[in-house]
Amino acid sequence: MSDIALSISRPNEKPVRSAAGALHTIQTVCILIVALVIVSPLFLLVVASLKDDRFQILADMGSFRAFWVSNPTLNNFKEVGHFSGELAFGRYLFNSLLILSITVCSGVIVNSMAGFVLAWGSVKGRATILSIVIALYVIPQESIIMPLVIMVSRAGMTDTFAVQIVPWIASPLYIFLFYQFFAQLPKELLEAAQMDGASIFRIYRSIFMPLSLPAVATVSILTGIETWNQYLWPILVTQTDYARPIAVAIATFFGQDSIYWDRAMAASVLMMIPILGLYLAFQRWFVSSFVGSAVKG
Amino acid sequence: MNMQQSTVPSLAKGKRQARNKSHRGRLFQEASMLAPAVVLLTLFLIVPFILSFWTAMTNQPLVPRPTPLRFIWFTNFVRIFQDDLFWTALWNVSRFAFWILPVQCGLAFATALLLHQKIPFRNLLRGMFFLPAITSMVVVCVIWGTLFQYPTGPFNQILGFVSAGYIQPIDWLGDPEWAMFSIVLLSAWQAYGFQMIVYLAGLQGIPDELYDAARIDGANAFQRFWHVTMPGLRPTHVFVLVITTIQAFKLYTQVAILTQGGPKSSTETVVHYMVRAGFEEQKMGYASAVSVILFVIVLIIALVQRQLLRRFDV
Repeated sequence: MSDIALSISRPNEKPVRSAAGALHTIQTVCILIVALVIVSPLFLLVVASLKDDRFQILADMGSFRAFWVSNPTLNNFKEVGHFSGELAFGRYLFNSLLILSITVCSGVIVNSMAGFVLAWGSVKGRATILSIVIALYVIPQESIIMPLVIMVSRAGMTDTFAVQIVPWIASPLYIFLFYQFFAQLPKELLEAAQMDGASIFRIYRSIFMPLSLPAVATVSILTGIETWNQYLWPILVTQTDYARPIAVAIATFFGQDSIYWDRAMAASVLMMIPILGLYLAFQRWFVSSFVGSAVKG
Repeated sequence: MNMQQSTVPSLAKGKRQARNKSHRGRLFQEASMLAPAVVLLTLFLIVPFILSFWTAMTNQPLVPRPTPLRFIWFTNFVRIFQDDLFWTALWNVSRFAFWILPVQCGLAFATALLLHQKIPFRNLLRGMFFLPAITSMVVVCVIWGTLFQYPTGPFNQILGFVSAGYIQPIDWLGDPEWAMFSIVLLSAWQAYGFQMIVYLAGLQGIPDELYDAARIDGANAFQRFWHVTMPGLRPTHVFVLVITTIQAFKLYTQVAILTQGGPKSSTETVVHYMVRAGFEEQKMGYASAVSVILFVIVLIIALVQRQLLRRFDV
């Protein structure tokens, strides 16, 4: 307070800056505290997964020992990290990774091709298709899931990888995001390439896609998070270990009388790692590209 | 391609033909680039969507039965509207929406405002604030399942400590009075990150000149916030509120894992009701009717958003 008063009575550079500096420090400390509080549950998770005893985990939760592990052990991870049998979380993780990578890759390709043609193609009816795509965005996954289950079980697709991948590759939202991104690129890019006799696919692949890293990153992260966290769909269409994703497997811990928190925590940490990697790999482009597209969507 | 650009008619004609041919080739290429998305969207979105209206008016079971499939018009809808549990579910998701809107959007807005300042480690902090959003709901349930432990979980300990033992331990997930509120807390924590990003984008979209002009006119920090930031964020607010409301009506995963709709149906939701009808009671027609109702609700919310945005644009 005195600093501020001083700066008003004597218009000198230095006190103003120090007052602002103090305010700035307070602000930074506040943000840091908020950030730590927000992240603390995840920190608890990692610490708890390194504790050996599930009763100890619950006992520690009530005190500051929750944030500390005196003799860390990887036993829980060894216990759940099998590839067959009852706790085959290695297998579930592999299943999820397979589903994730195929869905993200094919999603980026399919949706970006469609978005590109809608933005720069010369096919008739582009405007119609675009408005249909935008209208389809309103339909929530939850409201088509019942007939879809009947459809895929009639087609004999239950309990496969394909049933968890194919229905979610094309997405109105991502087609629209790509469309919007391509449409804002300069027309000269297209015209120059056409002068040189490049085909439309060639222009898409060699000119527009390399310029679209922000859109690719955004769609990859969004598709990735969505696919990784799918829960309702896989519980309806998987029955055996064969294609069961890790989210469904972790949820089965809750069905038991006494929950094995130690194993659940270790499996959860396993589940966090790949999606965190994907996010870290793409986050640099993620936020900036959201600026134009998200709000108007 | 250094061919002489001749004016001889026959050559020009040949060129036109070639162009026609290449035009057709281009159309073919464009069509094949569109085809995968169109086919997939038709098969897995449009067809099931239309089917849901048809199935909703039949007595379709989950597994084929000897009894013939009957078209029963609006019987399913009538039964749904006569079921108290459905109204409980609708009331519960409305309650959920009512609570999560201020908590989640407030948290998102506050963190976005903090991150928009010039602070050190901004990217690191933004990453930290976004971490819950990439955490799977199943993992969130594992973590918060321990936080909510009764009677000695962290939350109860903190409450007891802060109130010096005055507040009795709360059975967060087991008490019908508290269960939905507990679901609100963990859902807000998990999902606010996306709204924060949207707010950050909105804040970046407000031109600096507006702030400079306000400053020259002598506006203080609060006035700048109220007369520059808030009006600039109006479309963002609408978008965030609508997305959060729609999300609320689709509430399922956390409830299915942590409470299964209980205790005493206090966390029963529309989607949970639908899945139970379809898969436990095997009444697909009935469940499809619920899904049609869900779609109508979401559609109404989306239309309200459009109206609001249009009004602000003018």
